[in-house]
Amino acid sequence: MSAAPVLDVENVTKIYHKKVWANDHVSLTISAGDVYGLLGHNGAGKTTLLNQVVGLAKPTEGKITLNGRDAVADPAYARKMCAMQPQSQAPLDGVTPKEAIELMARIRGASRRDARRRTADLMAALDIEPWADTKGEKLSGGVQRLTAFAMAAAEPGRLAMFDEPTNDVDPVRRRLLWAQVRELADQGCAVLLVTHNVIEAERTVDRLAILDHGRVVVHGTPTELRGEHAHQLRLEAAAISHAVAQDLAHEFDNARSAVAIGRRMIAPVAADDCATALQWAQRHQQTGRIDEFSFNPVSLEDIYIRLVGSPDDNVDESDDALLAT
Amino acid sequence: MRSWLHSYKLLLKWNALRMRAEIPVFLALQTVIASGIVIGFSLLIPEIDAVSALYLTTGAMTVSLITVGTVLAPQIVAQQKERGLLDYQRSMPVPRLAMLAADATIWILVALPGLVATLFVAILRFDLQVSMSPWLVLAVPLVSAGSVAVGYCIAYTVKPVLVGLVTNIVMIAALMFAPVNYPAERLPEWARTVHDWLPFQYMAQAIRDTIDVPAGGTPLLPFVVLVAWAIIGLAITSRVMTRRI
Repeated sequence: MSAAPVLDVENVTKIYHKKVWANDHVSLTISAGDVYGLLGHNGAGKTTLLNQVVGLAKPTEGKITLNGRDAVADPAYARKMCAMQPQSQAPLDGVTPKEAIELMARIRGASRRDARRRTADLMAALDIEPWADTKGEKLSGGVQRLTAFAMAAAEPGRLAMFDEPTNDVDPVRRRLLWAQVRELADQGCAVLLVTHNVIEAERTVDRLAILDHGRVVVHGTPTELRGEHAHQLRLEAAAISHAVAQDLAHEFDNARSAVAIGRRMIAPVAADDCATALQWAQRHQQTGRIDEFSFNPVSLEDIYIRLVGSPDDNVDESDDALLAT
Repeated sequence: MRSWLHSYKLLLKWNALRMRAEIPVFLALQTVIASGIVIGFSLLIPEIDAVSALYLTTGAMTVSLITVGTVLAPQIVAQQKERGLLDYQRSMPVPRLAMLAADATIWILVALPGLVATLFVAILRFDLQVSMSPWLVLAVPLVSAGSVAVGYCIAYTVKPVLVGLVTNIVMIAALMFAPVNYPAERLPEWARTVHDWLPFQYMAQAIRDTIDVPAGGTPLLPFVVLVAWAIIGLAITSRVMTRRI
């Protein structure tokens, strides 16, 4: 994390057709060994930023420096230094994962031997060996995406960028993929990760930025982003009905910060008050008003929703109320 | 140059792998279409003289090269464009011209067996006497490169849904309204002037005059014009490919 930055994005603004602000003065820095997460809704400007780094789009304003060189002035160098898995599917029709990963590694500069070894390693690590010799059009969406991930990860250069790498991927292989992302960083690569999946990203990223309407609304480590909420827990109790959940919210703290969403009653609890809250929840479970309950740290997803809102207004407002306490 | 060739070789392999299932179908269809044109025209014109036979044979060969370059190739590119695959290719660390050259090589290889079949059918059907020039080896790739360059220009600059329409117009123009299968004198004056600037008649002439060398030897002009068209087409395509929106 202390190494010289591999990618330095400085005040990048991208305006399409003179009126659509896809990126609005975005700045971020990624060093070798860092996994940097870029979070945001659809249309927040994440993919646009990646396209500018790799030279598919040109910033209207601002500077992108890759490995010490101006990436905007020299897009061919940028492409050489950075491997990208785009959000769209890779061209896999007619080719098998083994052929595609190996050939892409060679196109990106690996020797024949290294490409072959790396392909075998990645296919084993992502558990896609059973489809090694199946042609692309016959693969499921998840295996296609894992193949596209491996095509970029096989010879990643200095910077690897993955745009929604876990879409369509099953939960078990998602974990395998995140482990490979970590592995790339541990081997000295800078990784830029675009995702909607806040919960999974939280476990993998070292630092992250949340993008909304093209602007970075907040950036830092997951702990920094949690800020004052870092020492709070979140009590979530499944009541037997919505009415009971509302009653419980009143009883808990006169519904000042506790809220009822459907059958769930959610309330923030300071770490020091946990024992009391636990007794309270256990009592209601014994009387049969609560089916089950849990205490969890305030998640990055809660922070994310508070900052950029949720497509579901009810949940959004309730979570806002919860986090505003 | 070494890295250019390295990229070209790997991209060619990539193309060949991706299209290995379709290539035999393309080859078969091209061969049938190219020989079909010769047989079809001989049914249309039963009493055919030696000059017309030469025009029809070499015309069919030219049309088959034009079909591959300006119809088949752009339609495949348009499909890729619609599926968002072009951006994937554009993000690869390879020279843009190596990418085009690797594509063009595949299309030339697809067209070659059809050319041989056409010539073979024509020799049998019309008793065609030919005196081939070694320049044929240059003429075929040049006509192909010109066609592919024009075809890619269409694919990259026209909306994918319209590519089929535009390429069909080019195809009909080449087959029926260009001095490819017949001498330019049969066209009205204005059309001849238009064709002085278009590549079709030069493509036909490059093939015709190398399959059967005229008394004065193979002329240079068609080659010069085709090189110019290939350069213009490649320059526009390369510009569109590298354009950053």
